[in-house]
Amino acid sequence: MKWFKSLSVAAMALAIVTTGVSSANAASSLSGSIVINGSSALLPLTLQAKSEFQKLNPKVKISASSAGSVTGPQAVRKGIAQIGACDWDATKDVPGFKAFEGQIATPVAVIPFAAIVNSDVKVNNLTTQQLKDIFSGKIKNWKDVGGDDADIVIVNRAFGSGTRVNFQLKALEGGSIVSTGSNVKTVKSSGEMKTNVETTSGAIGYEALAYVAGSKMKALSINGVAPTEANIINGKYKVWSYGYYMTKGQPTGVTKAFIDYIRSAKFQNGSLKKLKFIPLSAIK
Amino acid sequence: MIESSPAVQAAVQGQLGESMKSGSGKAFDRKNRLLFYNSTFKVVCICSAIFVCLILFSILIFMFRTGVLTFKTVPLTTFLFSTDWSPETETYGAFVFIFGTFALTALTLLFSVPLSVFVAVFLAEMAPKWLRNLLRPILDLLVGIPSVVYGFLGLTLLLPKLRDWAQVDLSDGILAGAIVLSIMILPTISRISDDSISAVPQKYRDASYALGATRFHTIVRVVLPSARSGILYAVILGMARAIGETMAIVMVIGNTPQLANALFKPTSVLTSNIVMQIPNVPFDSTWNYALYMMGFLLLFISLLMIVVIRLLQRKGASR
Repeated sequence: MKWFKSLSVAAMALAIVTTGVSSANAASSLSGSIVINGSSALLPLTLQAKSEFQKLNPKVKISASSAGSVTGPQAVRKGIAQIGACDWDATKDVPGFKAFEGQIATPVAVIPFAAIVNSDVKVNNLTTQQLKDIFSGKIKNWKDVGGDDADIVIVNRAFGSGTRVNFQLKALEGGSIVSTGSNVKTVKSSGEMKTNVETTSGAIGYEALAYVAGSKMKALSINGVAPTEANIINGKYKVWSYGYYMTKGQPTGVTKAFIDYIRSAKFQNGSLKKLKFIPLSAIK
Repeated sequence: MIESSPAVQAAVQGQLGESMKSGSGKAFDRKNRLLFYNSTFKVVCICSAIFVCLILFSILIFMFRTGVLTFKTVPLTTFLFSTDWSPETETYGAFVFIFGTFALTALTLLFSVPLSVFVAVFLAEMAPKWLRNLLRPILDLLVGIPSVVYGFLGLTLLLPKLRDWAQVDLSDGILAGAIVLSIMILPTISRISDDSISAVPQKYRDASYALGATRFHTIVRVVLPSARSGILYAVILGMARAIGETMAIVMVIGNTPQLANALFKPTSVLTSNIVMQIPNVPFDSTWNYALYMMGFLLLFISLLMIVVIRLLQRKGASR
């Protein structure tokens, strides 16, 4: 076992030397740790920002994970996380969830959402009122909104999903979503929503726009306006929301530096655009 | 037999005694070393056993302590017997899920038990040796497939097929769930039944054939009754797996909180409802507590199963 001991000693020495060298090389003296929890829709963005930020500031430790949107502000309130990612502004009441007192919401990205249908649905456009009637269960057949004579199948996200909260607020103007019936099902994630709408004929659902590109489903125009980046920027398409980072009070220290980085023009116009989000600066 | 003269014996004893006194020498080291190994091994074993018990009990206590907070605001009878589950209006009736769990499990067993027993009989009694040696590892491999794979296949292959076949808008429901679960637990049940059928002594079969019974009679009247407790054990193990299954079910059950009174109707069971809602609940809310209570209920049902297995084993052994 002697060789093993000497080997491990050598490895340890090497490790110490390399860390010493790399920290000596580091340009930044920023150090500390950040825990980020919350929305799964914002996680790709957070992870990208994390790896870029850590390259610039090697002494900063960031751990990011995700569950549902509401876990973000909750983890911040409990002190488990410094940043809670949330798909809605958790400082205000939304259907089903109370406002979180004493937290600050900082927008970090724009997330567009769309109503999506299976490719066999002939309808391309719905008015807000038609959408409300479909999702509240009043309209049950596509022929009532100008399509074929086929039953409407509603695919829902679970109550509390950020996508659902935003779609309900922005596209249905706070209208109700039917929860029972033989034509209603609920799915767990954005990916599952995509699979279900793609494979179920007559299905309608809602999804972050990033998932629609390159899929077999169709995004509907709402009130004659197509869900495109251009229409969001010029203010015609209303179904989008900011993605927020929630913090306990004003962010300070490392947390502030990280949020500043993700809001910087370099990140917003580079990596963020690549991940199919819309930069904050694009919205007037 | 080693013969030694008294003089040599005395010398050996003297040496041994000396080394023990001085605390040196081979014999002393060996004795101490063995003592040390022995006692350490014992302590490690006891610690492991205590550790496992501790984990189980802390899970039980934690689930119950959190779950029982539900009843501060929701009456027990409402929780157990109401079919209205709508967290947005603060009504928590879990009957839909409890009923769904039992209905799904019953339907699953209805499909999988006859099929698995036939497979087991074929493997143990009829298949030629080379086929048996080929099929057994395949069944063992099937047990190890992650359940999310079954769920995904159910979602992408089974659901569209069922929808076309039954001419319904949505084929999610207990039928789709039961088919996926049946395929999942089939290898478990058939392999354990296979083992217990193979364990039936050959002389029983020989005696039956000697009396002029056909193969069918021998298997149905002699072999299967002798292997009964083993097959029951297999069924209960499969049932426990079916009750606790989550990932495969959540993809094909539809997750709509309504009573499963038809084969093709989106519904929900205990496991699928927990996994659907737990990421989205506020921490200190009745909703969260109710989900924990449902988890405890599930754990309780599983423990009940294990107790039944133990009782059956004891009964089988005494026969």
